[in-house]
Amino acid sequence: MKYDHIMVRFGELSTKGKNKKEFIRVLARNIRNALSSFSTLEYIVRLDHIYIKLNDNNPDEIIGILQGISGIHALSLVLKTDDEISNVKKVALELIKMESGNTFKVHSKRANKKYPIISDQINREVAGEILRNTNLKVDVHNPDILLSIEMREDGCYIFTKTYKGAGGYPLGVGGKIMHMLSGGIDSPVAAYLLMKRGLRIECIHFASPPYTNIGVIEKLKDILAKLNTYQESIRLNVIPFTKIQEKIYEVADESYAITLMRRMMFRLASELAKRRKCLACSSGESVGQVASQTLESINVINAVTNLPILRPVITYDKIDIIELARKIDTYDISIRPYEDCCTIFTPKNPKTKPSLEKVLEYEAKYDFDSLIKEALDNIEIIYSKKED
Amino acid sequence: MKDNNKIVYLDNAATTQVSDEVVALFVETEKTNFANPNSIHALGIKNAKNVQIAKENILKSFRLNKHKVVLTSSATEANNLAIKGYCLKYSNRGKHIITTNIEHPSVLECFNQLRDHFGFNVTILEVDSKGCVSASQVKEAMGKDTILISVMALNNEIGSVNPISEIADVVHTFPKANLHVDTTQAIGKIDLDYSKIDMFVVSSHKIHGLKGSGALIYKSSLSFLPLLSGGGQEDGFRSSTVSVANASTIALAIKNAFKEDRNVIAELRNKLVEGLNAIDGVELNSDENCSSYIVNFSLSKKKASVVVEDLSNKGIFVSSVSACNSKKEPYSYVVKALGKSDVLAHNTIRVSFSKDNTLEDVEIFLKELKNTLEVIR
Repeated sequence: MKYDHIMVRFGELSTKGKNKKEFIRVLARNIRNALSSFSTLEYIVRLDHIYIKLNDNNPDEIIGILQGISGIHALSLVLKTDDEISNVKKVALELIKMESGNTFKVHSKRANKKYPIISDQINREVAGEILRNTNLKVDVHNPDILLSIEMREDGCYIFTKTYKGAGGYPLGVGGKIMHMLSGGIDSPVAAYLLMKRGLRIECIHFASPPYTNIGVIEKLKDILAKLNTYQESIRLNVIPFTKIQEKIYEVADESYAITLMRRMMFRLASELAKRRKCLACSSGESVGQVASQTLESINVINAVTNLPILRPVITYDKIDIIELARKIDTYDISIRPYEDCCTIFTPKNPKTKPSLEKVLEYEAKYDFDSLIKEALDNIEIIYSKKED
Repeated sequence: MKDNNKIVYLDNAATTQVSDEVVALFVETEKTNFANPNSIHALGIKNAKNVQIAKENILKSFRLNKHKVVLTSSATEANNLAIKGYCLKYSNRGKHIITTNIEHPSVLECFNQLRDHFGFNVTILEVDSKGCVSASQVKEAMGKDTILISVMALNNEIGSVNPISEIADVVHTFPKANLHVDTTQAIGKIDLDYSKIDMFVVSSHKIHGLKGSGALIYKSSLSFLPLLSGGGQEDGFRSSTVSVANASTIALAIKNAFKEDRNVIAELRNKLVEGLNAIDGVELNSDENCSSYIVNFSLSKKKASVVVEDLSNKGIFVSSVSACNSKKEPYSYVVKALGKSDVLAHNTIRVSFSKDNTLEDVEIFLKELKNTLEVIR
């Protein structure tokens, strides 16, 4: 006796009226892609669940992969059987014997309303069978084992184990966003949160050699390889930023350098977003964390663009961001010691409350537009793809 | 890095390019003399002989007849075995040990471990402004309880040279004390009377040999508590199957190291120092008494890590203190020990030569360094 299916539940998707069909289609495609190396799996896609028939594949690894896919609320390892009640009782008994614990509860659901026995009666019959044949006791509040039975038109599904999914929406249903990836701790976490909500990301990184180390690019590749768990192929645009950065220090007071630098970055990101048909940009900013992330700074920096800027970790405490970074396995990569564009030019006393007037005055001193165009014409593109 | 540019490699104190001769010998030995020298069959016995010959050749290169060789995986391991193995073996004789403040971490960390975990008293001698300790400093620090003095021959960061022979004379007036010398950077590069040194080490890859190969050379009257226990190879001091290829190639690398023409390197150094002195914002940390192989300087106005990165992008490879770290600013404890300012200690660059470098390398380096210093902020 062993589990033969994985039941995939959608959670939040279920509330999405007309779009639901499309969401499920995309989710099913994402699942199939993620599990493409398991060639003997079979997929049964329904409006309420997706069933994956295991055909003797080891479920542990498959569940691990499924837990990384956004749009899945929960997963259960289920056994499909004939819905004849005597058979259900027999299978339920055998299944529960495989579990460890002292107490149990039976929870039945009659999705097939034509099934002749009502849920409560199924609960009683099955529980009675278990009580007669094992030492287990019933606990309806905090059972060690929750035995679930779902009666459906094509048969009965029995399960005891449910695994939490990643939640969110299926990747790709929300369109594409231009994400600013520095290589620090925050931006990969922000990327993950965006993907989890169904957005497809494209990344932009600002490189200032020789002020930034060439090792940063290797670091970014390793981070993207981790993010490939959620999005199989990610494009990274590396922008040559040195000239702009040097120019900023020529025209502006050092205390304003970071503000100007961030404005240039957002300009470049917005421009590239438009070229690549992204409807928004995103970053790993967290309000108040550093000088450029005070509300005053964000206000002045944001003024360069009319695209929406999504900041998924804007209200997160650093400690919570770190926890998520560990969860998605990017933390150890992010803390590798390389200079990135944000650290090397750091002035001693950056403005926390920059004035827009002052900023515009500095920017008027040089034709930054031509530098921005030049940077955009010399992008280095790197693709990160999931390895098979 | 642009592919069409010539590579200028000036980081030979970090590691050298392995010589063709060593590679050929390694391949040949691994292919033909692959048997375990501890095996009792004919092939094993033949290889035991090969290891013995290699060790004899090593001792011959150093002109030694009262020393023995333990093959190790690196100079770090050899320093660990020498310092910890010796101190733990002879701790009944005394628990005072002495070293200097510019030793390599593979020495300093052993001393720290012996102090923190094994109750040794550690004296750390401070070098003078040229990066050296004197024999009289050693004499003053020594006492009845002193069993070990460890002083490096040639400093890996700035190239300063310690008076090992005089220090050895002082140490040997104390019958319980022995002298360990970290000679990793010194082999073939300075004149040393190795017979006066009780324990010293070799790293094969610093002298155009193989990485993963090193040796501890010690007076045969000494004994060590082994760091690696097992099958009892290397007189029980270092268990592990002995690599015949490592034995043969390190012997060859040492032999070749003593053949190097130091005058050529001195020319390179003079040219480099002359050029550096003419650059504004450059302050030399290596003086004329230092080894010609290492020239260390600090930048007073620019960030060394940025300069090294820019040079690297141009195909010129030199060393800065360490990989740049935005959170924790790295600095050179060696340059700091010379009494230099924090800015200078944070921004050091090391150029280190090998026999393969040419005057053209130095010219390219100087030209590009000037360019870099002009261009970067």
